Amino acid sequence: MVTLISSSRSRGIKNSLAKWLITLGGISVLFTLVLIFLYLLYVVKPVFDSAQIEPAVSISIDLPTDTRILATGVDELQELAYQISDTGQIDFYHLVASTEQADKQFSIGDKSVSTSLFGSDDFSQEKIISLANSFSGHKLLHTASAKTLLIQPSFYAKYTVDSREIIAQVNYPLGKKSLVIDEQQQLLTKLAFAMDDEKAVFVAFTEDKRLIKTTFLAEDDFSSTSEDFVVEYEINYQQIDFSGGGVDEVQVTPDASMAFVRSGSTVFVYSLSDDDFSLKATITPKLKNSETYLTSMALLSGSSSVLLGDSSGQVSQWFEVATDSGREFKQIRTFIANDLSNDGANGKVSKAITAIYPEQFRKSFYTMTASGLVNAFYTTSSAHLWQGQLTTSQPAALAISPRANGLIIIDDSSATPSSLKIQTFTVHNEHPEVTWQALWQEVWYEGYPEPDYIWQSTSGSDDFEGKFSLVPISFGTMKAAFYAMLFAVPIALTAAIYTAYFMTAGMRKKVKPTIEMMEALPTVILGFLAGLWLAPIMEEYLPAIFLLCFFIPLATLLTAFAWHKLPNYWKNKLPETLAPLLLIPVIILATYIAFSLSPVLEDVMFGGDMRQYLTNDLGINFDQRNALVVGIAMGFAVIPTIFTMAEDAIFSVPGHLTSGSLALGATQWQTLIGVVLLTASPGIFSAVMMGLGRAVGETMIVLMATGNTPILDWSIFQGMRTLAANIAVEMPESEVGSTHYRILFLAAFVLFIFTFIFNTAAEFVRQRLREKYSSM
Amino acid sequence: MISISPRALATGSDPSLASKLDLNNLAPEQVALDINKLNLYYGKKQALNNITMSIPKGQVTAFIGPSGCGKSTLLRCINRMNDLVDDCHISGEINLHGNNIYNKHVDVAELRRKVGMVFQRPNPFPKTIYENVVYGLRIMGENNRRRLDDAAEKSLRSAALWNEVKDRLHESALGLSGGQQQRLVIARAIAIQPEVLLLDEPTSALDPISTLTIEELINDLKKQFTVVIVTHNMQQAARVSDQTAFMYMGDLIEYSDTNTLFTTPQKKKTEDYITGRYG
Repeated sequence: MVTLISSSRSRGIKNSLAKWLITLGGISVLFTLVLIFLYLLYVVKPVFDSAQIEPAVSISIDLPTDTRILATGVDELQELAYQISDTGQIDFYHLVASTEQADKQFSIGDKSVSTSLFGSDDFSQEKIISLANSFSGHKLLHTASAKTLLIQPSFYAKYTVDSREIIAQVNYPLGKKSLVIDEQQQLLTKLAFAMDDEKAVFVAFTEDKRLIKTTFLAEDDFSSTSEDFVVEYEINYQQIDFSGGGVDEVQVTPDASMAFVRSGSTVFVYSLSDDDFSLKATITPKLKNSETYLTSMALLSGSSSVLLGDSSGQVSQWFEVATDSGREFKQIRTFIANDLSNDGANGKVSKAITAIYPEQFRKSFYTMTASGLVNAFYTTSSAHLWQGQLTTSQPAALAISPRANGLIIIDDSSATPSSLKIQTFTVHNEHPEVTWQALWQEVWYEGYPEPDYIWQSTSGSDDFEGKFSLVPISFGTMKAAFYAMLFAVPIALTAAIYTAYFMTAGMRKKVKPTIEMMEALPTVILGFLAGLWLAPIMEEYLPAIFLLCFFIPLATLLTAFAWHKLPNYWKNKLPETLAPLLLIPVIILATYIAFSLSPVLEDVMFGGDMRQYLTNDLGINFDQRNALVVGIAMGFAVIPTIFTMAEDAIFSVPGHLTSGSLALGATQWQTLIGVVLLTASPGIFSAVMMGLGRAVGETMIVLMATGNTPILDWSIFQGMRTLAANIAVEMPESEVGSTHYRILFLAAFVLFIFTFIFNTAAEFVRQRLREKYSSM
Repeated sequence: MISISPRALATGSDPSLASKLDLNNLAPEQVALDINKLNLYYGKKQALNNITMSIPKGQVTAFIGPSGCGKSTLLRCINRMNDLVDDCHISGEINLHGNNIYNKHVDVAELRRKVGMVFQRPNPFPKTIYENVVYGLRIMGENNRRRLDDAAEKSLRSAALWNEVKDRLHESALGLSGGQQQRLVIARAIAIQPEVLLLDEPTSALDPISTLTIEELINDLKKQFTVVIVTHNMQQAARVSDQTAFMYMGDLIEYSDTNTLFTTPQKKKTEDYITGRYG
């Protein structure tokens, strides 16, 4: 009687245990891979999210008749808001009802507090006719009786044991008395200013058509917030006659270097630096048609760009560009703020841009039309971020919160004339600077002569324009891999062919593990040596490096030839296995000769210094840490990978195929080319691909030996920055959750995709080749 | 080993032809290969002991003997395939047209063109059928398409494979069956028109039907080439060969026409072997 029940229980248990463990292992590897992939996507995704604006708080208040709202503002945390009316009143509002407020200056009750801004005898029952904003948060008020006051509504946080309060106050950096902006005390119809701690620069257009520039230079500084502090300053008046026409708008750059004066559809640029006050350039935008005219003007954060909005709903960005004939203002890009959904259906609605609101620190701006249509753009990335209607008509005032994550709008368009609506909106727009185009296409950055691919993620200043082109660093990855492969593939493959096909078995046993051990060499050591030892040597003995390219093969061939011609008597003295070792002294000698010849060659051919010769005579820039160094250093890291796999592939070509070819009268060489390499080709191919994958992902060597310059240049004498090195360099300094941080993850993702594509392509080709050349 | 009746074996070859030759006294024009006092050593171990024999032209000569007797080694000496083996050295001579192939001026590649070889296992290259056949011609530098085509067809016809593969010459040779592959390898060997064709147990990896086909092919091949075959299978030797050499432990024990060797062996060892006492 035969029983089919397993005779041993433990054997069955072991079998199923092994089965489960192996399955578990395999699945967890796949799972981890997918998890990494998903995590990268999760971090990167917000970068591509479109902007969203959602209503937050809405407060209705009553307004005395004949009062107009001029400005509004909100604190960083969007807890307190203020509005300034033309009667000189500033009203503060709680936006978060539950927070208890207290203030030393204003006793804010449950809802709001209202106070007059006019603190001195100079002002009495004044009506404010104009208000100018600066990027520094100051506001300049000008009254109908030609009096001027500079104020700064500000907020600060006060921490008690278990709570935080936001406290509002109004500062008067230049005192509470009326400022004398115009010596002749004329009414200023348009005014703009910029100020920092040391000076305030005012540019205004007077009623009698003069353009004036007034500079207040602080004796001490303007940063005091104390009420008792007597501010002392020196005033400097300058003026230009501007009787040619009216002035519609004036803007002063935050660094007070330029003033933009818009008169109709022409913008005059005045230089303000130091004591200068002169016309520098004129901007005449090419408008859509003869009926189009300019309607608004604004400066972009960072003081380089001016934005011009016109009656057709277009906004153009201009900045100074270096050209052959000096610096010129050029139109860089155009943003179209047309409401496409309403176009045609409601043709009467004016598309004219009535106001442009730039963000304080980023290159974003909002446009407004008379019908209340809001568009949000980001200049660098040319992104149209948002379009929508927040109010039914143009609001009395709009302000962007300091962190650019909220909007506050004062809407006076409600049914009853004396009622106002204060509305705040939450803006989700963390990463406007990233679009597909900004990452992969040429972008015209501020101050650059032309569009370019630039990676420059950080800088000292807040209003820096981040340059996030992935092209230079992807290119750097390719370049480093290319030069590494250029160095490694010939050496690794010829070594593999020699070891597998020609070397005696005894020698192979020693050589192969030795080269494989090179793989265990930490790449940080290779990078360290390459950057600190090899790079300076190569710089000093540059001709020697090129001589070696000829000397080593030549010396090897000569030795081989001499060996061939050597009488057998001498040949037999050296065991056959050791004969290749003869090459070691030969190569050392060739290297020595090349290095000795190097200075001579430099003297004779390159006028003493090949590096200078390259730079001056050939116009080739030379970096000490360049692609040549990286090629050699990373080549060394890649050689063992390629060698091992290729050697295995060649060695495992069945002997009967080799014999078959030899028996047909083929020489060793013919057999190698016609049969061995052909049969081993799938293995050799995947060896090269594995090497390439390694070169693409390699970090430490490129980090230490490339100079990390993100430039687009194939030159072998220039450095590069690779994706991997870029991540390693910048990750520690990027703020978690910032655009920069997410773009670094995107770079990691791109790297992942790169290696994924290489490996998949390699595997695909290898399978095809294997199908074709699989031997029996 | 199977026990075989000597009578049954004598039917394969043509006795009238075999009896015409006196293997010890061949006229020079009748000799294809003349092996003279050949000794072969693998390191210190001697594998062939003082072999002297003449292989007649246009005939099939078989080497038989138990495993390790040196029959394959001897065969591989004829086209110097043993050169590839480390530690192998040889004394004595093998003369082809009166020239010692171990003379140091001999071009081994040239020798192997004249002395083709087919191995135990079919070893087509991972190329198309066509490219396999013309491989030998290509490495000789022949690139004329028409000549290659002609040679391929002729060789494949000679190897009795043409009808089976003519429609798929440009498909991979690895798609052929084992027997077809072996005939392809024979076609490849004869495409370069060698004088001598060495067959090293050409059917040992094949099924009986394929074996039969190859054996018939060998009978045809001797019209054009001198064939030397090593076989483990005595029936095959009896069926296909004109002369048979029996080797044992590196010695050539007996060498005579097949009929004689299988029916009236002169040596005790030969008789023991062919009657299956050892092997």
